[in-house]
Amino acid sequence: MSIYLDNSATTKPLPEVARLVYETLSGEESYGNPGSLHRLGVLAEKDLDESAAKIARLLSCKKEELYFTSCGSESVNTSIMGYVHQNPRAGKKIISTKTEHKASLESLEKLSKEGYEIVYLSVGSDGRPDLDALTAAIDENTALLTFTHVNNETGSILPLEKIIEIRNKKNRNTKIHLDCVQSLGKLPISLSRMGVDMASFSGHKIHALKGFGLLYIKTGVRVAPLILGGGQQRGMRSGTQSPYLASAFALALEEATKNIDENLVKMTELRDSFSKELADLGATILSPYDALPYVLNVSFPSFQSETMLHCLEEKEIYVSTISACSSKTKKISYVLSEMGVKRELANNAVRFSFSRFNTKEELEQTVTSIKEIYEKYKV
Amino acid sequence: MSNTYRTIILARMGEIALKGLNRGKFERQLIDNLRWRLKEYGAFSIVQSQSRIWIEPKDSNPDILEDKETADLVLHAVTQVFGLVSASLVWKFDGDMESIKEHAVKLTDEILSEHDYKTFKVESKRGDKRFPLASPEICCDVGEAILIAHPELVVDVHDPDFIIYVEVRENRFVYSEKLEGHRGLPVGTAGKGMLLLSGGIDSPVAGYMMASRGMQLEAIYFHSYPYTSERALEKVKDLARIVSQYSGTILLHVCNFTDIQLDLYKNSPQDMLTITMRRIMFEIAEELANKQGCKCLITGESLGQVASQTIEAIQITNEVVKTMPVFRPLIGLDKEETCNISRRIGAFETSILPYEDCCTVFVAKHPKTHPQRKHIVEAEEKLDIPALVKKGIEGIETYKIERVSRVNE
Repeated sequence: MSIYLDNSATTKPLPEVARLVYETLSGEESYGNPGSLHRLGVLAEKDLDESAAKIARLLSCKKEELYFTSCGSESVNTSIMGYVHQNPRAGKKIISTKTEHKASLESLEKLSKEGYEIVYLSVGSDGRPDLDALTAAIDENTALLTFTHVNNETGSILPLEKIIEIRNKKNRNTKIHLDCVQSLGKLPISLSRMGVDMASFSGHKIHALKGFGLLYIKTGVRVAPLILGGGQQRGMRSGTQSPYLASAFALALEEATKNIDENLVKMTELRDSFSKELADLGATILSPYDALPYVLNVSFPSFQSETMLHCLEEKEIYVSTISACSSKTKKISYVLSEMGVKRELANNAVRFSFSRFNTKEELEQTVTSIKEIYEKYKV
Repeated sequence: MSNTYRTIILARMGEIALKGLNRGKFERQLIDNLRWRLKEYGAFSIVQSQSRIWIEPKDSNPDILEDKETADLVLHAVTQVFGLVSASLVWKFDGDMESIKEHAVKLTDEILSEHDYKTFKVESKRGDKRFPLASPEICCDVGEAILIAHPELVVDVHDPDFIIYVEVRENRFVYSEKLEGHRGLPVGTAGKGMLLLSGGIDSPVAGYMMASRGMQLEAIYFHSYPYTSERALEKVKDLARIVSQYSGTILLHVCNFTDIQLDLYKNSPQDMLTITMRRIMFEIAEELANKQGCKCLITGESLGQVASQTIEAIQITNEVVKTMPVFRPLIGLDKEETCNISRRIGAFETSILPYEDCCTVFVAKHPKTHPQRKHIVEAEEKLDIPALVKKGIEGIETYKIERVSRVNE
């Protein structure tokens, strides 16, 4: 059996999700366009509405605050660009870090070309932004803060409460967008209590389907849409909605939320013993000790990232690397490099990312395989 | 309205025309290769007359060249067949001088709808001596007709923007553009060679160049999974597929090299690793070449390009090959020239894809650039070379690489 430890890249859809999708798509009356006036349209709209209500309940927000998009990146793009474009008087300054996902960084890059001032806070070895610098940077002219809740490469968790506190003290009008793609289903998320104004989510990272993203915009926050057209979703996101993708997401989110605390405890134990075993083999753990236990970034001496990835692949264990291995240019992860990780370590970095379905046995098997790899392939 | 002409292709032979008594053999191979290359587009009648080849769709396939886009694809495919200097799309029709003028004007209309040309000239050939006008008169009349239809044009016989060619034979023909061919000699007239193919820029170009001399190709690639990825292998297959557009089907032999490489790494000195590795690769390639009936090895080496391509290093790897020559068509080329050829044959973009490999772990930081005999004797002391070569040969997997057909392109 293969061992899948690349859950931050994507996850396997739940069997319940697959069943639901099959049944919806093969049903005689369940394929309607929610915008149609006839009965099939009404059925589809009802289905969509139920999903929205369920998701809203699970994330503690109003269903009118939720929009269905095509992916996490679309949600992030819409939040960052849509907010500042819609609110030119909110200011020209945006604060973020260089360790965001590319969906954020590219949006910020575009805004910078349009004349916005982007302030990138430095991050510490724990992956967290410099809060003193944040305090100093927020001013009257600051329109938006955008941060990642959980970093996709290292699992480091954003000190959100402190950030909200600083924002509230310095400029209550400054909005906050939170990229929750990696934290959803793993950390409890309660939108109404968190103090964020916008948040982005993705379906396929929580055992739902690729092709579905979710965008939260707090009541009263105005955002310019990215996709124009038939005016669906209150004009915020045009394009025919997909009821089955939405119900798949709602179902997967419900499942993920059920035992979220127990899962976090279980995963912390698994991660702790896994990382200890790896450290005993001489590996360096690059993820901060207090990171989300679902992500573990590890540097293996004598093995370039990609070599280790293929060695593990040969044993049907699937992981990720950020650094690409090429004889000419050695690219290392910008996240690790921002955190001050040394080049030699970053060159050999491998990301293990878990789901609540990974078992102790799988991680033990992985450790055994890594030992075998060292014996056979170390040069 | 249906056309009053049929579009056909006229291709011109190059070096073959200089051949003596065995010219027929070359011509037959060229026609075979054309037929093979055009197979996916349907049946064609391919007829050679003097130094030219006329390619005409058969009745089962009459309209294939009447669609401009398809015609351009077929023309491009024709120019990829070695042995041709150029090829043109030609209109074939019947009739008198009036008909010739009409078609020449119509062709000019088409050319001017795509290009902003100002000057032109007409050239003509009269093969059918019964035709009442001589070549210069045909030129004048056709030129006049074109000027009447397009008074904005000017005749320039020295450096025209475009030329209208008129030929009067059993039928009448007009055409304008010539697409350059890849020249060379038809593949299949110069035996078979074993190409050492890597994922880089040089080796596909080397294969292309030998194929352009008429050589059929097989290739060997040394795969070091998990140090190199599955994607690197896919890339090599893609490169072989690109070369096969010119060379015809290539048998690609993938040699599992990981264990051999680890053995070398453990049992020979670091600074000689590249040399010992290349010597074993050459030995494996030679043995395979003999098995497959190849008469030479082909590499993409270029003198001085990297540490293993100094004259000393080349000599010391070359000497393990005892039964055949090693051809290195890029030996005197500048990297830029190689890159240009690579671009021209459409391999460059694939060659520079980044899944190079992690074999760099096997590359010494300071390899010996001027290895001597004593170094290699020392370096191979602890190696059981015949056993390693045997292992290499046994671990070969062979793929038949054919150019992608039009449907999948």
